[in-house]
Amino acid sequence: MQHFALTIIGRDRPGIVSQVTEILFQGGFNIADSSSSILGGQFSMILIISNPKIATQEEFSDAFKPLEENNLSVFIRTLKPGGEIRPEQEGDLCMISVYGADKPGIVFQVAKELGDRNINITDLNTKLVGDKQNPVYVMMLEAMLPVDTEIEVVENWMEALKQRLQVDISVRSLVVMEL
Amino acid sequence: MAVKQVLVYPDSRLKEICAPIVSFDEAAEQLLQDLVDTMVDAGHSVGIAAPQIGALRRAAVVDVSKSKLGKKQENHGLLQMVNPEIIEKEGSQVVREGCMSVPEYTGNVTRSESIVVQFLDQNQQRQIIRTEGFEAIAIQHELDHLDGFLFLDRVSSLKTDLFRRKQK
Ligand SMILES: [Zn+2]
Repeated sequence: MQHFALTIIGRDRPGIVSQVTEILFQGGFNIADSSSSILGGQFSMILIISNPKIATQEEFSDAFKPLEENNLSVFIRTLKPGGEIRPEQEGDLCMISVYGADKPGIVFQVAKELGDRNINITDLNTKLVGDKQNPVYVMMLEAMLPVDTEIEVVENWMEALKQRLQVDISVRSLVVMEL
Repeated sequence: MAVKQVLVYPDSRLKEICAPIVSFDEAAEQLLQDLVDTMVDAGHSVGIAAPQIGALRRAAVVDVSKSKLGKKQENHGLLQMVNPEIIEKEGSQVVREGCMSVPEYTGNVTRSESIVVQFLDQNQQRQIIRTEGFEAIAIQHELDHLDGFLFLDRVSSLKTDLFRRKQK
């Protein structure tokens, strides 16, 4: 079945999820995967959806028009076949916390360090906290280490980065227990 | 040797409260053996509880000594537990758990760091052991099954909780 990625974003208020999912339910859509959160004052939803009766984006016609009339932005992406399936990934998960006085480039520098070494970031949250005089940047990420990469090695890279960026960084392995 | 089929949610037996084993008869011995056989057969598994193979009785087995992370820590090897009960718990730790009865989903769960658990072993001897880390997590997970709890009932943090701030 053809899958689509649906992104909806707009000023947060009660009732957004209800309105979105009512439209999906009435229209006969399946929600395969979804994640929603508040970023700034904006509520954002990302959903992977499918509908046995819909094969192309044009067939959505005006399904989501009521959302736009309620000041929500709607974006639909047509997935390639198999694009709804999460690839199997081998390796250990680790959590990296980065925090410190706000300065440009923290996210990029950390991400580059990992990306250059082919480490997949599977989750990332950043937030500006603290007060106006002392803004503090907090970044939490989850990454999948390739099978041949030990966590100690990642700690060493992060130690170097910590010196360079003058921020605090900690690395922990995220134990996944199959029981 | 009897490898049983592992029940998968939404099988309603996974949500039942299991009954204590009052007489340690042949059936109870057989149940422990089936649990061990099924756990071993499942390869990756470090524990299994009776309701997961359809027996609504208070028995579970745990063995972290064969798992990659578990064998790095001190552990008690194969534990066969009848009427197990946690009588002391201390500290807390967050772990990402998955379960054979809830395939393809994992969640962050808060568990006690160290526990004291008492049970009857396979020789009907009363055991009281103190354990921590990996093994303690596995025991807490399996004992939850005996009360109809899945780790889904225990998931304690969405990652965004880290950023929830006090209302001014
Ligand atoms: Zn389980």
